[in-house]
Amino acid sequence: MIIKTTELKRSFEVGSETVEAIKGINLEVNAGEFIAIMGPSGSGKTTLMNIIGCLDTPTSGEYHLNNKLVNELDEDELAGIRNKEIGFVFQSFHLLAKNSALDNVLLPMKYAGANIEEATIRAKHVLDQVGLTDRMSHGPTELSGGQQQRVAIARAMVNKPSILFADEPTGNLDSKTEGEVMGLFKELNEDGQTIIVITHEEEIAKQSKRIINIKDGLIESDTKI
Amino acid sequence: MLFKESLISAISSIRSNSIRSFLTSLAIIIGTAAVIAVIGIGSSAEKALEESIDDLGGRTLYVAPGQNRRGAVTKGIIPLDIKDAEALARYTDHGWEISPTITRNRQVKYGNANINQRIGAYLPIHFGVRGYELESGRLFDEDDNLGRKRVVVVGAKIPTELKTSSRNILNKEILIAGTSYKVIGILKEEGSTGWQNPDEELYIPLLTGAQRVFGTPNVDSINVGISNDVNVDEVMMSIEQILRAKHDIGPGQDNDFRISDYSQFADLRRQATGIFTLLIAAIAGISLVVGGIGVMNIMLVSVTERTREIGLRKALGATHRAIMLQFIVEAVLLCVIGGLIGLCFGISILWITSSLFDWPFALPFGAMVGSITFSALVGLFFGIWPARKAAKLDPATSLRYE
Repeated sequence: MIIKTTELKRSFEVGSETVEAIKGINLEVNAGEFIAIMGPSGSGKTTLMNIIGCLDTPTSGEYHLNNKLVNELDEDELAGIRNKEIGFVFQSFHLLAKNSALDNVLLPMKYAGANIEEATIRAKHVLDQVGLTDRMSHGPTELSGGQQQRVAIARAMVNKPSILFADEPTGNLDSKTEGEVMGLFKELNEDGQTIIVITHEEEIAKQSKRIINIKDGLIESDTKI
Repeated sequence: MLFKESLISAISSIRSNSIRSFLTSLAIIIGTAAVIAVIGIGSSAEKALEESIDDLGGRTLYVAPGQNRRGAVTKGIIPLDIKDAEALARYTDHGWEISPTITRNRQVKYGNANINQRIGAYLPIHFGVRGYELESGRLFDEDDNLGRKRVVVVGAKIPTELKTSSRNILNKEILIAGTSYKVIGILKEEGSTGWQNPDEELYIPLLTGAQRVFGTPNVDSINVGISNDVNVDEVMMSIEQILRAKHDIGPGQDNDFRISDYSQFADLRRQATGIFTLLIAAIAGISLVVGGIGVMNIMLVSVTERTREIGLRKALGATHRAIMLQFIVEAVLLCVIGGLIGLCFGISILWITSSLFDWPFALPFGAMVGSITFSALVGLFFGIWPARKAAKLDPATSLRYE
């Protein structure tokens, strides 16, 4: 089991009020799953992703990642987990504008303290996998939206994470490139990569193997396809 | 590897905001330029001064006529004359070299050339005391002096002034104040000492000058050359005793001459230069600190602008330390680049000033290393707060920052 959460809660102070974004989520994710988390705005799906992505810590409850209790780790330990165990893909790609595709992909390995030659070989290999063999030295401004998102996927994959998180990965893409990106996710999943996609689009969710609906900070439904 | 990444990131950030970066580091540029220029100019001036003192050979005391006062009544200037110099020369306890001088401007003619030039009447030892060397011909000697011979040794630039060349003028007769003198020697070029230019002077024997050219036994001054191991106070007392006796000055009466020590002037000037340098360096230091505040300000702006980038870097696994390093490196780099630009400006100013005043040009390495180090420290100090602010950003919120 990769992820196990027990009564996960997260509340925020808004002015003098306390708002509970998630109110007790119990979730188990096994290796090799391809999950879509759905829910309307304000349902708490982003908060949930932040916590299981180790970008945020829960107010209460337990979160085990690879059988390790992570909600009591300090900031730098969390940074280490984000670096090695988790790969993020964002709606707006979040590439460093002045760096080439290769440099963007190299960044997580630099933070891991990898050897530069080995890291470059690995980065080129991953860019190759996402079909950008001849675009490695291009900067984000010279790449199409679909290509940028593939660079971002390569960057997320480069440290061989336990989970690949994608937050509305196709939100900024047209339907053709959307299909390409989802196809790439399916391929990665078939190779054994655990993937969690956050989306509000039925069409995207249907391409996964398990759909979890979140509403008002709780899991409303959890369906395997 | 992380450091290299920080450096690359810093360079690209500074380059993409080049005008802003330049304006930010302007205070650092000005501060460093001021430090380099002022300290460099100070030490160049001091070196020029030292060289001119070295030219005098060891240490030289300077005896000049002073006011003769009997009670409150000033009786005019009592001159020093050749006999005073001779009296001093007869006293050999301190091993001093007595060199009286008379200098005036006189008309000098050769061929069509007619110039008004400085004529100096000296003893033959003057050349040795000053360390002047001969280019061609010979120097005048004691026989020329005692014989009041009409001979002249000229400075290196005089032949040109007289519209001729060294070779042509040697052993020719020139007219000084209407009387004919034989050019027996030409000196090597000495360069200006800052006070006077020995290359543009004509040198004649003292007694020749006193009798034939100036018609007076009165000298302008008597230089007393002493070696460095002699006690200056004792020398001054000896000079005083001899001259008081010669001038018949009774007990309780003031001297009618002045004795001064060139190295005293030098010390005073050095002290003044030192204070001035310190003052400007302090102002420049303040400018660097003000520059540092500017850098801090712009770094805070930069952190806010790059909130999303920081969020992303944290999501990819950047630790607190990695983010700190990135922004501190950027702040330090900004200051060091400013420092290096300032260094170039400062050295240019120094070079221009040195060549303008004909001072020796030397790079002030201490000030260069010091000011660059100080700039780097300013960047480090003022970079810490913005860097800490960046490192403390919450990754989840900063990723979604608009």
